Amino acid sequence: MTSLAAELGRIVGDAHVIARATQLLVYRSDALPGLQRAPALAVFPGTRDELVAVVRALAAAGAPFVARGAGTGLSGGALAEGITLLGLHRLKRILALDPIGRTATVEPGVVNATLTRAAAPHGLHYAPDPSSQTACTIGGNIAENAGGPHCLKYGVTLDHAVRATVVLPGGEVVTLDRGDADRGDGSGGGYDLLGAFIGSEGCFGVVVDVTVRLTPDPERVITLLADFMRVRDAADATSRIIAAGVLPAALELMDQPTIEAVESSVYAAGYPRDAAAVLLIEVDGAAAGLEDDAREVERLCRAAGARGVRVAHDASERARLWQGRKKAFGAMGRVAPHLVVQDAVVPRSQLAELLDDIAAIGAQHGVRICNVFHAGDGNLHPNIPYDAHDAGESARVHAAMTEIMTRCIEAGGTITGEHGVGLDKLPYMEQLFTPDTLDAMCSLRAVFDPDRRANPGKVVPVRACREWHAAVAARPATHDGGGA
Amino acid sequence: MSTHDLVPLERARAGLDACVHCGFCLPACPTYLALEDENDSPRGRLLLMGALLDGSVRPDDPAVGTHLDQCLGCRGCETACPSGVPYGRLLEATRESLLPHRPLPFVARVVLGVFANEWALRPALALARLARASGIAALAARLLPARLAMPFAMLASTARPERQGYEPQGDGSRGTASLLTGCVMEGLFTEVNRATERTLTVNGWTMRTTDGQRCCGALHAHAGDADTARALARENIAAFERSGADVVVLNSAGCGAMCREYGHLLADDRAWAVRASAFSDRVRDVHQLLASAGPVMLPVPAHARDVAAGAIRVAYDAPCHLQHAQRIVEPPLAVLHAANGVSLVPLADSDQCCGSAGIFNLVLPEVAERVLAPKLVRIAESGADVVATGNPGCLMQIGGGLRLSGSEVQVRHPVELLDESYARAQRPG
Repeated sequence: MTSLAAELGRIVGDAHVIARATQLLVYRSDALPGLQRAPALAVFPGTRDELVAVVRALAAAGAPFVARGAGTGLSGGALAEGITLLGLHRLKRILALDPIGRTATVEPGVVNATLTRAAAPHGLHYAPDPSSQTACTIGGNIAENAGGPHCLKYGVTLDHAVRATVVLPGGEVVTLDRGDADRGDGSGGGYDLLGAFIGSEGCFGVVVDVTVRLTPDPERVITLLADFMRVRDAADATSRIIAAGVLPAALELMDQPTIEAVESSVYAAGYPRDAAAVLLIEVDGAAAGLEDDAREVERLCRAAGARGVRVAHDASERARLWQGRKKAFGAMGRVAPHLVVQDAVVPRSQLAELLDDIAAIGAQHGVRICNVFHAGDGNLHPNIPYDAHDAGESARVHAAMTEIMTRCIEAGGTITGEHGVGLDKLPYMEQLFTPDTLDAMCSLRAVFDPDRRANPGKVVPVRACREWHAAVAARPATHDGGGA
Repeated sequence: MSTHDLVPLERARAGLDACVHCGFCLPACPTYLALEDENDSPRGRLLLMGALLDGSVRPDDPAVGTHLDQCLGCRGCETACPSGVPYGRLLEATRESLLPHRPLPFVARVVLGVFANEWALRPALALARLARASGIAALAARLLPARLAMPFAMLASTARPERQGYEPQGDGSRGTASLLTGCVMEGLFTEVNRATERTLTVNGWTMRTTDGQRCCGALHAHAGDADTARALARENIAAFERSGADVVVLNSAGCGAMCREYGHLLADDRAWAVRASAFSDRVRDVHQLLASAGPVMLPVPAHARDVAAGAIRVAYDAPCHLQHAQRIVEPPLAVLHAANGVSLVPLADSDQCCGSAGIFNLVLPEVAERVLAPKLVRIAESGADVVATGNPGCLMQIGGGLRLSGSEVQVRHPVELLDESYARAQRPG
């Protein structure tokens, strides 16, 4: 054991430090197994004090590290190549739940769905609902500014976090809030530092605890499933619904290969297997007038060419329709052993056209593209199942993905809606941003993590960061082992 | 290490390929929740299996042994897995592949040896009954330190108060059924077996006996001793072919799950493959049979209502091998609903393993205890008087745990509660 491992073992107990290569294997990837980088060491603090002590020990050793929640990320963001992986999954206590003030304070390792379950008896829920919500952690959600189907109406993680206690990479523990908050001592105001922290992908520090808003359950929910004979028509229906001024709680599109994978799984939802695409649409809110909204949605779907529109008639059918959607990504394992998952956002008005383009790119490269995505947000998730053991196929998949992402950028879109940049989308950053913008990002990071030890080598390509280059040149390689 | 030594795992490789690492299995895994290391999760164990196959981890690597041994085999991950990874089969194939490289722990070898040999099993169970009847088990459970006391507490918890039987009335219209009586079920839960036969009779089944039955082999298959499991399976298949009932009925979730797997277990045995899958097709869980018949509800006459009046609060805890392995979820609840005098109360996390897992709690008592701990808390929170569960391992693990924690809550098989309500209905006035 190295001296760092021994030191960390003294803090958290040797049982919660892993240094054996074979036991580090599982920590070499997140939910995107195409990217694998083994950490040198993994440490799992079990209390707030242990977490702070671990970060301070890492700071004292000048050791870079990567925080990780449940490893359900889809951009390789929690990979710690040759450095220390800081697992937060043991910090899983709900510290406070205030049903009157409608907030909860949780440790970073609390699973998203666990919080909603705890809030349910009070008629409340935690609104951001990434598809991985049964497994992913709130800490990870903060790092990635996670979204989810219902973010169309309710907003993303950023809109639901109130305050966070974070330990900065240097070991200082600070409280970040929204700037406009009244801290009760007249010290409110200032910059929205919490806003800067959310979505920083573990590069700014580690969440010790976070206070989030809980949302009242809607009085009524109506869930519709519309099925289409052409993907294009489903995209067209999406545009019509948004243009008509109806704001659904969620508006999700799944195409035929996705439907097939889901319907073969334990989460079979009863989607029509012969449809080219289905739209899963939910309207919610006050009971009065909601049926009018649902009827309007149905009319717009039919006008766009829907073959049929079905309404879930009870809570269990609604849950089944949603389970199918949320487990769709996992179900892709039925199609082929490996999977690349993408996450691009495009202007909603161009959705139909881009779906055609994506299909054409897939056909041209001879790869099979499955689409399952947040249509209402224009947030695409083209997935390509493939066999990584086949070098030719892997190369074609890579080429197709690069082309799809480039096409999305050209259309005025961006490279991530909710999965983050991580390692996977690093190459697209320079396509999307100017050197000045990337430099500004580096400067912002330096406020929180001047030594660049938290999740090094992610989000902003090292070569794009002039300041970083200068620092590395001045201080020859000691601890920037995670560089991409 | 060449992968040629890992033939059973190699054959199961396609199942590994289905895993996309999504991590949805993590919260469904009791050992991940208790031990808090992803090596002790389905995703971690599948990865170790893959590493064994590609040669990057050696079969004698202690990490492989530790984390695969620490799997309960509850298969809770299978009902969470969108990709349909056949985790249970992969686990057994891996353990079978590793067996030549690393012998089983002493305790496991002794227990498996006893269950595979009638001459050892019968006296062992007789001795256990003696320890139970004489009060030695209860005394040892009280006096010994906790870790040593647990096996005695488990044994003591299997005691049942003396009960009057009744003559079950049924029309036999549903067909013939024969009970796979099981080792522990017949040895320590004799009353549950009789209750199973009586309630099935009331619900229209004609019960037949089957001679020459053996242990189902589940314990052996889970430990990787597939050869012994296959030998036992062949004997059971032959025995039930001779008795010729329409269905083979089980009241032990673990044994039932194993019997359903005989077709898979003997798939490569040309002489037995067809017979084995025909046998598996005939296997039914007792709750399924009862639920498909209603179950029959017998009104309790006024004079017998003393017990029924104050309904007992019953919480149902799902045995993993019923809930996850056999995917039988509703029928046990239907059985409890049909039992007069039972008021069902919800039990949080009832689909989570209790830590029994066959002989897991004897081989790795510390891990089993950590898995059991939250279950005992949930049971206390439920306010139940009785926990009902349909598997001998779970009955004993929860029963022993409750006894050691000083709880008054009783643990019963759902069929016992139905049977008692039938007995009350027939009590002479």
